Amino acid sequence: MVLLMAALGAALFIFGGASRAADGNFPIYFEASKLVVKAETLNRTVYLPVREIIEFMGLPYTDSLALETLTIRSGNSRLVVTKNSGLISLNDQIIFLPSPILRQNDRWLAPLDFLTQGLTRMTGTAFRYRSGTSRIFAGAVQAPELVMIAQSLGPITRLTIRCAVAVEVKLQRDDQNSRAILALDHAPLDPLRERLDHKDRLVRSISFDDADGSPKIVIDHTNQVADIRLSSTDGNRIFFVDLLRKGETIPEAPAPAETPTTSSKVDSTQTARKVRVIVIDPGHGGMDTGAKNAMVLEKDLTLSLARKLRSALQIRLGATVLLTRDSDVAMDNEARSAVANNNQANLFVSLHAGYSANKFDSSSSVYVMKENFGEGFAPATVSPDRLFLPWYLGYRLHRPAGARAAKILQDGLSKSISGSHFAIRTAPLAVLSSASMPSLLLEVGNLNNSENAATLIDFEFQNRLVGAIADAIRIFSETEQASTN
Amino acid sequence: MPRHIKIGLVVLVIGFGVSFGFFVDVVGRVRSMVNQRETEENPFTPPAQPLYEPTDPPLSVKIFFPAASGDALLTTEEQTIFKSTDVANRAKQILQKLLEGPHSGKLYPSLPDATKLQDLFVSEHEIAFIDFSSTISVNHQGGVLNEMATIYSIVDSLTYNLPEIKQVKILIGGTEKETLAGHCLLLLPFEMDLTMTDVMPPEEGTAALSAQPSTKP
Repeated sequence: MVLLMAALGAALFIFGGASRAADGNFPIYFEASKLVVKAETLNRTVYLPVREIIEFMGLPYTDSLALETLTIRSGNSRLVVTKNSGLISLNDQIIFLPSPILRQNDRWLAPLDFLTQGLTRMTGTAFRYRSGTSRIFAGAVQAPELVMIAQSLGPITRLTIRCAVAVEVKLQRDDQNSRAILALDHAPLDPLRERLDHKDRLVRSISFDDADGSPKIVIDHTNQVADIRLSSTDGNRIFFVDLLRKGETIPEAPAPAETPTTSSKVDSTQTARKVRVIVIDPGHGGMDTGAKNAMVLEKDLTLSLARKLRSALQIRLGATVLLTRDSDVAMDNEARSAVANNNQANLFVSLHAGYSANKFDSSSSVYVMKENFGEGFAPATVSPDRLFLPWYLGYRLHRPAGARAAKILQDGLSKSISGSHFAIRTAPLAVLSSASMPSLLLEVGNLNNSENAATLIDFEFQNRLVGAIADAIRIFSETEQASTN
Repeated sequence: MPRHIKIGLVVLVIGFGVSFGFFVDVVGRVRSMVNQRETEENPFTPPAQPLYEPTDPPLSVKIFFPAASGDALLTTEEQTIFKSTDVANRAKQILQKLLEGPHSGKLYPSLPDATKLQDLFVSEHEIAFIDFSSTISVNHQGGVLNEMATIYSIVDSLTYNLPEIKQVKILIGGTEKETLAGHCLLLLPFEMDLTMTDVMPPEEGTAALSAQPSTKP
């Protein structure tokens, strides 16, 4: 019963999400043109008007009221759809659609699958749809990828937009509605995420919108925003949108010109970098809350830090950064290190928050795997370079590199976070034991110390901490590169 | 009534009686098994055996507890147990001291509230198998260092004081668990590690000690 309810809940969630994403206008991008149709959500399924689409494509059709069928022709092919039926007939072959075709007020409405399965097979024009989005690409349309990252950088909030091709961006401000619109001159674009889950003192929401066929990014900001600045780099492929808080003097804001230079430097060395894929593991999750404090749970703190670290590393290193979990879910330790192993990560960083019986303690630790852990338990005949090893010995080969990374991180954190003590320790850690790449675990603060916990949840402190970790990883990446050259 | 029918009826009655008796017996056995089923809340408890004899001499031991100050994670407190002939009984006495907590205000208890020692035995390979109640995991406050303190207070207290124990394998709720509070791997037995303590290795200590000055906190 509980399982059934959970499944029902999950289904509602998924379909609910899909319907939200597709309400209203729905652009269909063809090679040289585009059609914006009005989508309707019925029974939690997104429906598109059939006749508008086939008329736009120039396909002849017969609408038979008496038979309640619609017959579409293309060359020698014939597609017949019937009212209230999920079965469509293509050249007398039956195709099953998960949702029925509807006819309402003289309009034929078809689910998205009608395009991706029916029209694609009949016309040879492939309709591509990614679930959760509200656009369809038809035929050989190229949609460059668009990545948006938002982060709080002290007094400013920075939105970084990276596009696979050069685009022109125009900033329009609508201060009455506390809204800024960035119009992009390239259509179509394929955003990695429709909506950013970033919220801070300056930004309420950031979302991609191309409901009218022209892509734009809408920033809903608070009334604390004084100025919005737009700058670009890398031949108009990367844009920085800086939102400045009221009362901040403009010269104090970090100059956007500074980041582009490092960013372009990063891009030139990116291909030669040793650390290309980084996996960050936010400790605990789901039922496993980790250490607790009245203000924060360890699982939430680690996820928030991991997301910030992902943005920082993507910008500073241009590296591929993956999280073992990006939501509040439980995972076992083996699954976490498997994410790093399966993605051939060059570095694995597990984030945790500490807890000490001593309420006054506020020290942090950087952990590497305990030296020679588990080696006494391998069979005596084992040679160090044999092919098959027990799973928990996966750490052995890269432990020295992990220890180097830990030392760099300790130095970086001790410099940036003054007044805090960071010790390097070794432990038989389950999450690191089977990671076959340089790996470390950072445990910050003491959640039993309420003053320390208050510092840990402060966004500015988190940004400083994440910045120091990202810098240390950049230095590690450079030193590893130098040592292999 | 013909004779063969009489004999048949008698055999039938006897057979019925035997099978009924067998059935009743089986039911009784099942019932007794159900009533005596071992659960974690109601574990099988053999008649209590004293952990030491009145004639056993006292033995001074060092019990490891988390330190309130200083660089070392664990420090020791001198306590007294009785030198029983069975090493498992000595180990149980040490763990009882650990469960009772430190006497000094400068030390913290290392085991979570309501933790119970369910069983302990020492194998011929000098490995102590300790089974704690699941409260050691459920009531644990978390944190890597805190978990290390819990585990190594147990491991070091046993291996430091009892040379007959070289390794310690921790079980929770009667089964093997991957970790205690999500961090430290429990699948392999632990050996003595004094790098996080302020204690020098015992003179007759034969446990493998890896000298790692850089990892000393």
